Amino acid sequence: MSFINYSSREINCKIVYYGPGLCGKTTNLQYIYRRTNPEQKGKLISLATETERTLFFDFLPLALGDIKGFKIRFHLYTVPGQVFYAASRKLILKGVDGVVFVADSQIERMESNLESFDDLKINLAEQGYELEKLPFTIQYNKRDLPNIVPVLDMDRFLNLGGTPWFEGVAVTGRGVFETLKAVAKQVLFELKKNY
Amino acid sequence: MVVICPKCKTRLKVAEEKLTAGGSRFKCPKCSTSLLVKKPAPATERPVDNVKIIVAHSNPAVMNEITSLLHDNGYHTVAASDGIEAMVKAVKELPFVAIVEVGLPKIFGFEVCKRLKGRPETKGMKFILVSSPYDKIRYRREPTSLYEADDYIEEHRIHDTLINSINVLKGAAPERQEEKVEKAPEKQLPQRPEPEPGPSQKTEQKPETRVIPQETMPKPAPDERIERAKRLARTIISDIYLYNIAKADASIKNDTFSSVFALELREGIKLYENRIAEEVRTQGDFFKDTLRAFIEKKKRSL
Repeated sequence: MSFINYSSREINCKIVYYGPGLCGKTTNLQYIYRRTNPEQKGKLISLATETERTLFFDFLPLALGDIKGFKIRFHLYTVPGQVFYAASRKLILKGVDGVVFVADSQIERMESNLESFDDLKINLAEQGYELEKLPFTIQYNKRDLPNIVPVLDMDRFLNLGGTPWFEGVAVTGRGVFETLKAVAKQVLFELKKNY
Repeated sequence: MVVICPKCKTRLKVAEEKLTAGGSRFKCPKCSTSLLVKKPAPATERPVDNVKIIVAHSNPAVMNEITSLLHDNGYHTVAASDGIEAMVKAVKELPFVAIVEVGLPKIFGFEVCKRLKGRPETKGMKFILVSSPYDKIRYRREPTSLYEADDYIEEHRIHDTLINSINVLKGAAPERQEEKVEKAPEKQLPQRPEPEPGPSQKTEQKPETRVIPQETMPKPAPDERIERAKRLARTIISDIYLYNIAKADASIKNDTFSSVFALELREGIKLYENRIAEEVRTQGDFFKDTLRAFIEKKKRSL
C-alpha cells in the first residue's frame, strides 16, 4: 500500500524482489542502483544480520512524471532467499505495492522456484493480499547458463495468469530494467486508479 | 542394510553379512524390542515389454501427437498426465521406454527419470525427456545434465526425431544394461551402512518380533502431499548447502554437517513443521530422510 509524503509531495511505492536463494535478486537491485542517476536515488542499505540479508534503496524516476502534482518514489527491496527465513520475507512484504519474482532458470533450481513461489503466495495471503490482484512481473534469470529450462516450460509452472515475464542475465543487466519497468507500469496504473 | 523397529519406528543399521540364513535376532537399542532380521530376498527383475511405451505429458495435444505417432509405428502406449501417475504406471506396466515431459506436474519429469532409474524393477527402462523448444541453439542442454535420461527431444521435433530416438535406444539396450550390471556393486559399496557393534550377536529370550528389512519392502506409490513435504525438505537443505558450499563440503567430509549447521537446520525444521500437515509428518520423518540422503550423496561425490 503506497503512502503519501505531503511535505515532499511524493507518493512512495514499495516493490519487492522475491525468489529462491541465489536466484539474482540482489544482482538485479545492485544493477539498478549502479545505473540510476545519483541525484535521484537514496543510499543502498543492507539490512544484514549474521545469517540473512535484505537490500533496500529508494529512487525517484523523473521520467515517470507525476500524479496530480505528486512525484512517484519507488522503494526497492530484496528478501532473504534461503527458504527458511520465511518470517523475514513476510515482514518485508508488508505494505507491498508490486512484486517481481526472480526465478533461477537452472534445471536444478526448479524445485526451489516452485517452493519460493508457493511461499510468496502463502506469505501474501497471510497478510490479506492476493498475488493475482497485485502488480506482478516474473524474470527468468540466468539465461546465459547451459543447464537451463526452456522459458515456455518455466512459464507453465510459474506463470498461471499470463503475467508479463522477461528473460534476464542480471549480472550483465539483460532484462533488469525491462522487468522493473513492467512492474512499475502496473503499479502506476493501480495508483492512477486509486488517486 | 536398514531395518525399522515396528514398535518405536527407529531406523537401525544392520550388517547384512552377519545375518545367518535363518535370520539373526537382536535388540532395538531404543525400546529393547527383540527383533528377528532376515536377509533381503534378491530383487526380482521382471522383463520390460518391448512394444509398450509410457507417455507422460500434461498437455493433451502433445500427448495425442506422441501416442498417435507411436500407434502408427506399432507400439502400445500407456498414458500419464502427471509425475505420480507416471511413476505408478511405469512400475506396474514396465514399458521399455518412457517418454516424459521435463516439467510434469506433481513430480518433474527429470525427477521421475532419476527415481525410476534408481529402482531395481525399472532401472533397465529407457527415458526420453520432452521439453519445450529453446529459443536459441546455445541454450540447448548439455547431455551431462539430462538427469540420467537416455535421450532428449524438443516438442516441435517430435515427428522428425522421436521414432528414430526409440529405434536407437532399442538397439543400444543390451549393451547399456550389461554396463550397468557391472557397475552396480561398485556404486552400492559406499552406500552400505557400517555394521552396528554387537547387536546381531546378542541373543534375547524375549518374544520375538519380525521386522521387514526396509530395502525389501515394496515402495509405496508416491503421495502428492508426501512429495510436497520431500520437496520442501530438499529445498531447505539445498539452500543451506548453496549458501555455504565450502563449509558444508568440509563438514560433510568430517561427518559434522548436522552440528555445524544446527542453527540453519533448526530454522528449516521450524518452517517444515509449520508448512507440512501433522498427518503427513507422522507418516515418516521425510526431513531427516532427505538430509541423510543428501549427506550420503554429497559424501560419495566429494
